[in-house]
Amino acid sequence: MRLEKCWFCSSTVYPGHGIQFVRNDAKVFRFCRSKCHKNFKMKRNPRKVKWTKAYRCLHGKDMTQDSTFEFERKRNRPERYDRNVTEQTLKAIPLITKIRHERQKKHITNRQKQGKTKERERDAKELEQDIQMLPKKDAILSTQKTKVVVKVSQQQTEENLMEE
Amino acid sequence: MNFPTLNLVAHLIIWLVKISWYLYYSYWILNWWVIYDPNALTQLLHLICLFLNVRPVGIQFENNCEIGVFSKLTNAYCLVAIGGSENFYSVFESELADVIPVVKTSIGGTRIIGRLCVGNKNGLLLPHTTTDQELQHLRNCLPDQVVVQRIDERLSALGNCIACNDHVALTHPDLDKATEELIADVLGVEVFRQTIAGNILVGSYCAFSNRGGLVHPHTSIEDLDELSTLLQVPLVAGTVNRGSEVIAAGMTVNDWTAFCGSDTTATELSVIESVFKLRESQPAAIVDDMRKSLIDSYV
Repeated sequence: MRLEKCWFCSSTVYPGHGIQFVRNDAKVFRFCRSKCHKNFKMKRNPRKVKWTKAYRCLHGKDMTQDSTFEFERKRNRPERYDRNVTEQTLKAIPLITKIRHERQKKHITNRQKQGKTKERERDAKELEQDIQMLPKKDAILSTQKTKVVVKVSQQQTEENLMEE
Repeated sequence: MNFPTLNLVAHLIIWLVKISWYLYYSYWILNWWVIYDPNALTQLLHLICLFLNVRPVGIQFENNCEIGVFSKLTNAYCLVAIGGSENFYSVFESELADVIPVVKTSIGGTRIIGRLCVGNKNGLLLPHTTTDQELQHLRNCLPDQVVVQRIDERLSALGNCIACNDHVALTHPDLDKATEELIADVLGVEVFRQTIAGNILVGSYCAFSNRGGLVHPHTSIEDLDELSTLLQVPLVAGTVNRGSEVIAAGMTVNDWTAFCGSDTTATELSVIESVFKLRESQPAAIVDDMRKSLIDSYV
């Protein structure tokens, strides 16, 4: 049993799922579901279909090169079974997946940061230039008189009272 | 009568007894007794054969005489397919158990392991259909000097496409360049692209070891000479399993033993014995040869 990758969208194909197609030149194509299989039959290029991993990696949307990917590789020359090595590998696998996911999230937030700064700049410029475009009541609110406190001396009022 | 003549007559009588015993009993017994009571009787028969110095052994895999399809024999290890009964495995084990590891395996879930993989004492090459578990099993069972490698090749029946011994390999003419380099690297051999009697499947139409080789019966003499110079071993065009041309499917051979299907006739067996020089590798035969030079006269 082996968890394969879908040829079209690069998601994992679990046992009991999907279809395998073997071409005349003995190349095997594995698909995770009929959506990918039908797209393949329509001769669509996965590098041009937006929701596939191939597109996202090609256009820099997702992280492509990282040392965590090197752990999960197909090896053709096995090593002799060693109990300690197997035990440590099994312990390391969830750690590595966690780190890989965090790095992928970081990659995406970094990619979106530039957009956020640009958005702030645009908003500041708009406020500066187009404040007149705002509706009237908002404008009045902005030009409303502010209360000024004036100090009146106590002596003058007492003199007025005395004269009467 | 003087002693040399008596010696010769005694040898002649023993030889006649051996031949008659083998011809009349072993073929019959192997075919009949194997069905009724496998292990005990085949072991007894093998003991008798050992005593009589009879080589090679005729066996079947689940009533099929194509031994070379279900097993792979090299100088460093032996691979055997997983069959319903243990007869096949026990034959190999009784011959080879102490000398080299005999490993029961499947390749890609199939039993036709002899035709899918190729190997010699330096390495073993497996097709891309081999599962990870089988690969790991082979790596654990085989000695460390043997490099186990899985290769991505369009022609996945490597046993049909490549024939090799410890020094030279003959390959299918359409094999990839990358695969050819891998063969040279993993098996440590010199690789030649050749055809045998016009057949591109060189791995199935010839079987050769470091001592000799047997090829397709319709190979012309010029081809035979050319191949012989390439491989540096004596070659003979012959058949196996009562006239089957697919040599490598009918028998497996290494430097000191050969296993043939039970259909193999006595003539074919004698040809195999002579070309692979198997009789000479038995200790008793060596002593027989040397006795005349060692012993000056009988007192």
